[in-house]
Amino acid sequence: MNETVKVADNLQEYKGRSLAQETWHRLLKNKGAVVGMIFMVLLFILACSGDLLYDYDTEIAGMIMSEAREAPSLAHPFGTDQLGRDVMARVIYGSRYSLIIGVGSVALGLIVGLITGSLAGFYGGGWDQLVMRANDILYSIPNIMLAVVIVQLLGTSILSLVIALSISSATSFAKITRASVMTIRDQEYVESAYAMGLPTWKIILKHIIPNCLSPIIVQVTLSIGSNIISASSLSFLGVGVPIPTPEWGTMLADGRLYIRSEPWMCIFPGLAIMLTVLALNLMGDGLRDALDPKLKR
Amino acid sequence: MIRYVLKRLLFMIPTILITSFLIYFAMDLAGGDPVNTILPENATTEQKEALREEMGLNDPFLIRYARYMGGLVTGDMGESYVTGIDVFDRFMQCLPMTLALGGTALILACIISVPLGIYTALNQNTWKDTTGMVFALFGVSMPNFWLGLMLMLVFAVNLNWLPSQGADGPKYLVLPAVTVGLGLAALITRTTRSAMLDVIRADYMTTAKAKGASRRRVIYYHGLKNAMIPIVTAIGMQFSLVMTGSALAEVVFSWPGIGRLVFESIDKRDIPTVTGSIILCCILMSIINLVVDLIYAFLDPRIKAQYSNKG
Amino acid sequence: MSEKNLEKTTAAAVEQERDHILDIKDLVVHFETDDGCVCAINGLNLSVRREKTLGLVGETGAGKTTTALSILNLVPSPPGVIKGGSIVLDGKDVLQMSEKELEHMRGNEVAMIFQDPMTALNPVMTVGEQIAESVMLHENLSQKDAFERAKEMLKMVGIAESRAYDYPHQFSGGMRQRVVIAIALACRPHFLIADEPTTALDVTIQAQVLDLMKELIDNNHMSMLLITHDLGVVAEVCDDVAVMYAGRIVEVGTTDEVFNDTRHPYTEGLFDSLPNLKEQGEELVPIKGMMPDPMHLPEGCTFAPRCPYATEACTQSVPELRHVNGSHYVACHAYDDPSFRLRRNANG
Repeated sequence: MNETVKVADNLQEYKGRSLAQETWHRLLKNKGAVVGMIFMVLLFILACSGDLLYDYDTEIAGMIMSEAREAPSLAHPFGTDQLGRDVMARVIYGSRYSLIIGVGSVALGLIVGLITGSLAGFYGGGWDQLVMRANDILYSIPNIMLAVVIVQLLGTSILSLVIALSISSATSFAKITRASVMTIRDQEYVESAYAMGLPTWKIILKHIIPNCLSPIIVQVTLSIGSNIISASSLSFLGVGVPIPTPEWGTMLADGRLYIRSEPWMCIFPGLAIMLTVLALNLMGDGLRDALDPKLKR
Repeated sequence: MIRYVLKRLLFMIPTILITSFLIYFAMDLAGGDPVNTILPENATTEQKEALREEMGLNDPFLIRYARYMGGLVTGDMGESYVTGIDVFDRFMQCLPMTLALGGTALILACIISVPLGIYTALNQNTWKDTTGMVFALFGVSMPNFWLGLMLMLVFAVNLNWLPSQGADGPKYLVLPAVTVGLGLAALITRTTRSAMLDVIRADYMTTAKAKGASRRRVIYYHGLKNAMIPIVTAIGMQFSLVMTGSALAEVVFSWPGIGRLVFESIDKRDIPTVTGSIILCCILMSIINLVVDLIYAFLDPRIKAQYSNKG
Repeated sequence: MSEKNLEKTTAAAVEQERDHILDIKDLVVHFETDDGCVCAINGLNLSVRREKTLGLVGETGAGKTTTALSILNLVPSPPGVIKGGSIVLDGKDVLQMSEKELEHMRGNEVAMIFQDPMTALNPVMTVGEQIAESVMLHENLSQKDAFERAKEMLKMVGIAESRAYDYPHQFSGGMRQRVVIAIALACRPHFLIADEPTTALDVTIQAQVLDLMKELIDNNHMSMLLITHDLGVVAEVCDDVAVMYAGRIVEVGTTDEVFNDTRHPYTEGLFDSLPNLKEQGEELVPIKGMMPDPMHLPEGCTFAPRCPYATEACTQSVPELRHVNGSHYVACHAYDDPSFRLRRNANG
């Protein structure tokens, strides 16, 4: 436990709860956030059990031409696609790709963003100039174009998609971290940590980063959602996850050709994306309110 | 102020140079040997080598880059290996279509979102606020191209009110513009609302009320003048998204803009067109970002002061 | 109308009312939040004499600012609700006024100076515009004339006229507070509410701003409600003092009466926790405990849990204000015993 959290603990003492518990308590009061969390837990379980439910080679990537393009029915609640594959099975199986890409790209972006942002914010000067100019350059490349270039370079695969998306996430994390570090750097408790003779890296790790966590936590939640959307957009455009992988965006790219006659091929993967991102946004909004109760949006 | 604009324009040059260098470098690595694309499959090694020499492909990378950038200044970015069409001309042909789509969408988004954001903020925690925010939340949670597909399904396929593909008059603009516009509107509504909520609580609003200003005047004069700063920031930040959104909508609705150009060129492995279009997009973005920054300075005297101090 | 109010409609009361520019009676203001009801003001009685300055003293959270905002009927709502009472200003009840009357009253008859000059000014308007706005809202002046008035006001508060075209961020804290004062006085109101006008300023600047306010009040024959937690400021500026605790007045009187003949244990506590320059050896005696949580106020006298003199009776009922002498009133059960004296008075 570091000093600042202890102080915060003392402040909260008369209510008998720590800051983290208080935040959690407030989060549970937010109905939207709870619904979002439950949905994400269920989705996570589904994503993990995809292989138990379905056989990849026959049910997900294979084809059963005799059952092609069937409308939703009891046997196929979401209908079947042009190759006779059950759309529901593919949507459920595909959840893992969206989660892996969303979480993976944010995690990678977070690591890069935290390091560069805190260095820029803490040391200022040349470091700051370097990081901010790099950010400016990345900022002037539209995200989608940046992703196109990277996917062109690395080839279409899940990994290159993760890397491409993590770069734009890293810039936003670097910006947030830099801004919070710059305000916290000059606070008295950081000076007192210096006065006690703590080495710089310890000060950054123990005093500065924990205190700029709230905006970062919120941004993480919201970024996973927006990266899932970006990933599906890129797959839809043909520069994301290649076929026959049942990624939701790839499925939409397939389904788009059949929208006039078999709209269910488009409706359900899109709904899956929307609900997932909606759940993440509900959590993110709830977290923001819980971490900063003064704002009460 | 003029000096600031000049300085910013000057700063743009290294940004553009680095950006284009990175893109050119990456695409050069990714592109493979264009000679294989141009010549028929049964071409001899000598023929290939001769063509490489003729196209200057055997020169070192930096020289080729310098030649490319030299061409860029005069609007010569080479020709497509696949179609033989001049890249710069093709881009300029597509640009107005994208600007029309993006511009219409942005105007539409502002018309919907700014009043809605203010309205929901003023009615905070009532059913009006909740309804507005639920719509906005769905809007930001939806992949924009999927919204486009669904609009197409309803208005073009089922109701048959609007055309679904192509660009043959203003009617064709409706669906893509509404698609991009609604996505943006959802985002800007959320920002406008929270900017307005921040402003409503500010001390100077109480000062204005204590002066005897009416509620209307306090909100629309004092409040909006301040809230405009974060709202314009939010809109300014969306230009990258306008471009992404337009690109997707162009593909969905076959709107002949830059987005469709890029993705069709990727399909055809038409590397010069892809490289050129992306570099030109980045230059366009830099200019737009500069304009947005200048608008802030106009709105916020604190930023203006910063500029004139720095010269 | 209760019997009590009827009784008061005597000649003396009418005279007294004419003598008072502001009369607050039984004011109750609550903030209704999700977590419960915050009882900010719980039956407050307060009067300000014409052309006099009343100091309202109390700790942070006693409800001083809420009182000030109530007078302008500007309690932020939601969550704030004025539950009851009356605020009679120059013969009219503020709480019964229409929105039009309120707008006419605010800034024109009553003006307010805010605590934090760093945030009280609109950052995107020049200070000249902000002063002129106040003038234009209440007087039939052209924009140009109003701006001329704004310049005059700036000169009056000691700022060069040419700075009317500057923005708030170009001024220091003390200068901004001068601008806030200029805005408040632009329409020559009869009554000024100053909410901790010097708290956010440097000590040297504090004195300047206070002197300026005092001078302007005297020259313009204005009355003032000065909210502060600084007893030194009160001694310097105020004719009368009211001490506030947990949303009620516990002691009120002229500055002389309250300072030299302190009656309430809380007021005594405030004085004891002040460093005394004359007797430097003396130890400071802080008031023990904290202000009660306004969501869960204690039964009876709200000061009882912290009061060194508290008895059983104190937790039974809320003490009413009782007359001491002259204009001096105190709300304390201890005076049920006529021989009761505070330690401060017993020793002195």
